[in-house]
Amino acid sequence: MEDLAIDVQDLAKTYRTPLARKKVEALRGVSFTVERGQIFGFVGPNGAGKTTTIRALMGLVRPTSGTASLLGHPLGSRAAKRRIGFLPESPYFYDYLTVGELCDLAGRLFGMPPAARRARADELIAKVGLAGARGQSLKKFSKGMLQRAGLAQALMNDPELVVLDEPMSGLDPIGRKEVRDLILELRDAGKTVFFSTHILSDVEAITDRVAIVAKGRIQALGTPGELVSRSVRGIDVVVRLPAGLAAGDDAALIAGATSARRVGDELSLMLPADADVDSWLARARAAGAKVVQVAPRHETLEELFVRRVTGADPALREAGAGQPEVAP
Amino acid sequence: MIARIWAIALNTFREAARIRVLYGILVIVVGSNLLALFLGELAQHDADRVARDVGLAGISLFGSLTAIFLGVFLLYTEVSRRTIHAIVAKPISRWEFVLGKYAGMGIVLSVLVGVFALAMLAMLVAQGAPVTSGVVKALVLAWLEVVTVAAIAIFFSSFSTPFLSGIFALGMWVIGRLTPDLEAQARAAAPWIRTTTRIALEIVPDIHLFAVSGRTLDGAAVSVHGEFVPWSYVALAAAHGAGWIACLIALAALLFHRRDFA
Repeated sequence: MEDLAIDVQDLAKTYRTPLARKKVEALRGVSFTVERGQIFGFVGPNGAGKTTTIRALMGLVRPTSGTASLLGHPLGSRAAKRRIGFLPESPYFYDYLTVGELCDLAGRLFGMPPAARRARADELIAKVGLAGARGQSLKKFSKGMLQRAGLAQALMNDPELVVLDEPMSGLDPIGRKEVRDLILELRDAGKTVFFSTHILSDVEAITDRVAIVAKGRIQALGTPGELVSRSVRGIDVVVRLPAGLAAGDDAALIAGATSARRVGDELSLMLPADADVDSWLARARAAGAKVVQVAPRHETLEELFVRRVTGADPALREAGAGQPEVAP
Repeated sequence: MIARIWAIALNTFREAARIRVLYGILVIVVGSNLLALFLGELAQHDADRVARDVGLAGISLFGSLTAIFLGVFLLYTEVSRRTIHAIVAKPISRWEFVLGKYAGMGIVLSVLVGVFALAMLAMLVAQGAPVTSGVVKALVLAWLEVVTVAAIAIFFSSFSTPFLSGIFALGMWVIGRLTPDLEAQARAAAPWIRTTTRIALEIVPDIHLFAVSGRTLDGAAVSVHGEFVPWSYVALAAAHGAGWIACLIALAALLFHRRDFA
């Protein structure tokens, strides 16, 4: 469909080891669409199938079954590749090149004339903050600098669709914010951005739609708002207790709460979603407490992520794995 | 298409130019030419003969070994170091990539052979020996040998590890060089050995065609120091080399086309 940047239908990929006769199902029927002009976050734990999906989309691996199209063109078509920018996971580039030479190589492969290549490389190298390292070979770059160089080469052709595999990986908080800003800037310029990550704060901050993938399948798909606000999980209440109220005297207030924590004279607790909040507040006021905050607690993306991911793979739940990376 | 192939070729050339080991090989070749100068002085009357022999042998040996060394890593490291990921996602076909890699390596090896040849010619001129058409033809044949060996190495590099590729390529080079001798040996052997040898030699490029000095062709002795082959022979050898290069690069491209870069 012409209004879709990415259309993936029932994509599957099974790796086979010829000698060991082992089969590894990396993708087990992944389906999703990305509309043009969206920022789409592809989230999942390590080994979920994020990178395999991206590699299949970029023509690096051949799907075992299923179909996909990019900007209305079938996978691997040159017409699509001309309009796509790609940053691979943990980017490995020719380390004997400088960032300018790397951008020049990308520009040549996109068929850009020399003057346009030079001008675009200058602009992008400045944009990703590597102007001061122009003369250095990539061998001397840190991981974060390589990530920036990778972003510069990915944007050489002024792509309509930008595919970024773990673009925040290896970056410090400032670097991550700069990449987030760059992604937002691309969206504002009408581009579509598809990126994978396991840093949930980045996803919540900038994406229009999210897919959570685990065990080679899509576990949840929608806008961050749709995914996390479908149900109220409880009521967060914070009250200030009267001075001198002993620790044991707040038992009547805590009764029935699903969790409670007292720090000094401040009591924070969560009431069940179906609790009679009005009568609880009346009881608290009668005991001399002052209400500081009452707010419904929705499921966070992090909670949803953990629930969907561990639900997809009981082994992860037992091992306590599959936890998302929480950004500092 | 040409621009994309050229972009990869240029990058491959740049990579090789920044590998210090190549400069080591250059030093070895210049050193071997100086050795030839010394040996020539010892031989007194045959100084130019020694210069030609050592120079051509140096080009053939070091050129072919360099071709194998560079070739076996060429495609393998692109995959193992994942540098190919950012390239394949761009509008370039995999066969264009393989051809570009070969073209870039061909340029590197041509420069190397050119430097070797210049060193040899400089020594001949310094000794007052004439640079005959035989010498020029022998140099062209040596260059053809080196670029053919490079195609063999790249072919193996498209599906095998550098170690195995190196063994296979080295084996094919040696067998291709010794084909007439192996055929002669097989003539006196049992019929099944003759048949097996003939079939085995059919699937190996006739690299001996490029190292013809010192052999007998059509009953006549051929030597770079005297009567050498005509240009028509060089053209036929070039066609043979080009045919093998085309087949090997096409096969490498086909194998590369089917691979997953996981």
